[in-house]
Amino acid sequence: MTGTKTNRIRKDASAVAFDWIKYGLLTLTALICVLPFLVIISGSLSDNATVMREGYGLLPKNFSWSAYETIFESPKEIINAYKMTIYYTAIGTAVGLAVIVLTAYTISRKEFKYRNVVSFLIYFTSIFGGGLVPWYLMYTNILGLRGSTFIIWFPAIMSPFLVILMRTFIAGSVPDAITESARIDGAGEGTILTRIVLPVIGPGLATVGLFLALGYWNDWYRSSMFSTSKETWELQFYLYNMLNSATAVSEMSQYANVSMDAVPTQTVKLAMAVVATGPVLLFYPFVQRYFVTGITIGAVKG
Amino acid sequence: MKRFVSLMLVLLMVLVFSGCTAQQVQAPPADDTPEESATQPETQEEAPADTETEPEETPDETGAPELDTSELVTLVFYLCGDEPNDTAVVEDALNERMVEKFNTKLDFQFTTWTDYTTKYNNTLTTGGADLVYIAGWLNYHTLAASGAFLELDDLMNNYAPELRARAGEDTLNMCRVGGELYAVPNLWPEYVSTGISYRQDLVEKYSLPVPDSLENLGAYFQGIKDNDPDQPIYYGTADTNSVDCTGFDIAEALVIKYDGFMDYGYIFDADNPSVLTDYFWSDDFVEDCKLFKTWADAGYWTRSSLSNENNTDAYKNGLTTAIVSGQNPNKHITNMNDFANEHPDWETKYLAYGEVTGYICPSHATQNGTSIVRGCKYPERAMAVLQYLMMDEETNRLVQCGIEGTHYEIQDGLYVNLSEDYGYEAMDTWNLRVNEFKLPQGTDTILQEMFDYYATIGEKCKYPNVNIGGDFSEDYSAYEAERTAVVNVRAQYLPPLQAGFVDDVDAAVEEFRTKMLEAGLEKCREGYLAQWDAYCQEHDYV
Repeated sequence: MTGTKTNRIRKDASAVAFDWIKYGLLTLTALICVLPFLVIISGSLSDNATVMREGYGLLPKNFSWSAYETIFESPKEIINAYKMTIYYTAIGTAVGLAVIVLTAYTISRKEFKYRNVVSFLIYFTSIFGGGLVPWYLMYTNILGLRGSTFIIWFPAIMSPFLVILMRTFIAGSVPDAITESARIDGAGEGTILTRIVLPVIGPGLATVGLFLALGYWNDWYRSSMFSTSKETWELQFYLYNMLNSATAVSEMSQYANVSMDAVPTQTVKLAMAVVATGPVLLFYPFVQRYFVTGITIGAVKG
Repeated sequence: MKRFVSLMLVLLMVLVFSGCTAQQVQAPPADDTPEESATQPETQEEAPADTETEPEETPDETGAPELDTSELVTLVFYLCGDEPNDTAVVEDALNERMVEKFNTKLDFQFTTWTDYTTKYNNTLTTGGADLVYIAGWLNYHTLAASGAFLELDDLMNNYAPELRARAGEDTLNMCRVGGELYAVPNLWPEYVSTGISYRQDLVEKYSLPVPDSLENLGAYFQGIKDNDPDQPIYYGTADTNSVDCTGFDIAEALVIKYDGFMDYGYIFDADNPSVLTDYFWSDDFVEDCKLFKTWADAGYWTRSSLSNENNTDAYKNGLTTAIVSGQNPNKHITNMNDFANEHPDWETKYLAYGEVTGYICPSHATQNGTSIVRGCKYPERAMAVLQYLMMDEETNRLVQCGIEGTHYEIQDGLYVNLSEDYGYEAMDTWNLRVNEFKLPQGTDTILQEMFDYYATIGEKCKYPNVNIGGDFSEDYSAYEAERTAVVNVRAQYLPPLQAGFVDDVDAAVEEFRTKMLEAGLEKCREGYLAQWDAYCQEHDYV
């Protein structure tokens, strides 16, 4: 014990003060992030009527599972929505990663004559888009994909941002000399990609993969636009629509005589937030360290 | 290389800009004809080709022409709302009849309640449906005017004469847009008269006046405050996203002395509907704001009220002792049920403002209706099917209530639900309601009593039981910029004024007026009034 103490580099007062400020600020920031979430969790475990009267607190008021009971009342639907989201996330991320890596690798190769043109075309779509109606028309009337599961994951497998991120990453972490030496040794493009490039772009894959996966996990819009049956709904859409139904029905009932049962209460809304974010929270810490390196490397070398 | 790139660039620019302009036209899918016609060139050619064979060759003298049912067809019926779990079960049962009778299958599809306006418009644009639910709040009028729906007069004469006779020309005329009939209304007159819900138990307990005027409402609030200082009096919310007259919802109570509010600060007079009177520049406006200030000063609502969220549970949780906005007979029943479940010792009562002002009317015919989408390949069949859905009791009941014994049963002539998977009007087919077939629910007797009473008041109006402004919809594309500015200014100045959070009402009113004028209120009003005049002339309201 004493040994370690004497060996430690003595800090002067300003360094100690800096530490305090640093830790203080970080604690504060962490609290700002964590407290609202605690309120959500405690709110979701409170009794609705009590919350209405007394407001939210950090600890559950009048503890009750009723909000979760409401959500899981028909577990079949929510489980199905979970399953579908996991399916979309898995297949979308896998296919997306493959397509993005292939594209990024191709346009990062100096041998590819038109790489700048192709890069520009990809970049171009991030600035100009066709708009909602043509987009919808294309998928429904021309491709006839309305109601399929394909349409839910397919449109999001690639985004210009991710392709450019990946290209920059590959260009930065794989020096030309390495690929050139591989070529001299007789490797083809395929071998270079799988044996030389892929092993060193781990952080890049994690970053892009996480972006893709989060995108899929949080998406509700494509279900909203294209689903024709509850079977294909994504989880976020299932939950979001539950809230929207409540709002719509209560609004509707101002103009018409419609019955108003099944309006979720405040605590149910909070419980939904917990149900929807839970898995992502668990999943984040594992990928996060790659995520940080991935983003900064891409950014600096860009 | 360079030349190639620049060539590509030029090509792209051309593509993009032509794309952009086309998109601008398409941006509001609701109110533009170009887009509709762009997507439906074939259908417009097709529609006459279809009708040509029947109605034109066989004029009225022989009655209905034969319906061609040689081919099995699936018609998509697009509805607004969420899909019930047992849709497929009911669809199958229904399609058995439909195939037998019309060689047709119905496929019910739903907007869900997320982004429903966008999806609804998209579906109309892409011709993704045949039969479709329509309503005033889904912009029926604008859509019909832009050619989204088929003209129904001939189709109805030929394929749904019974339905036409049952609906009656007066009701059908209410669905006309530019003289053409585009929708078949539901056949159940309902009153959704706004009013005030208040706590009868408190009225009795503290011997308070019934809030049937603004003075009495004030006395009611004060009486509760005097007797029970801990009781929150009123929970109000601000409205910051419209151009109407009520920025804080307590102002909705003013409808107890005016027949109704219109947009841009106008008051509507049921005896003289074509003339709108200015509210914002009237002394009444100043007086009303002063009254609300006395209420705010008396502490009926909290200083933070303007940031309140809309809370449908406030009344049943005792956060407010009255609701003055957005109430209607059906909500009264909901309140009654809530109280019975959670506070058996409380009692709620309802007073429709029309009972005081004498102007009360049922919902407009276009509140719930059915149209045939332009582009429908089998309009004759769609019309015949619609008549069958509405005029055949068993079929109608199947759609509205599900399968007897599985989804519901009838006890003492009342509807009793048996299954969560298919509730009452589970598919939100409010457009298929028919008075004679509508199976009453337990609470419907109270509702019917209220309706009957309102009908007697409505009889005495200048236009008996007619919802005068019901189908008016404003087209503000010509002054959209000004309107946006007016919305913003109104959102900033009107709510605090009506919530009584200003020190000097007169000065604040002056400021509000000046800012509204600066935002371009005059231009909005001009356009709005012109459209209102045209509307009144079209429907002979003077």
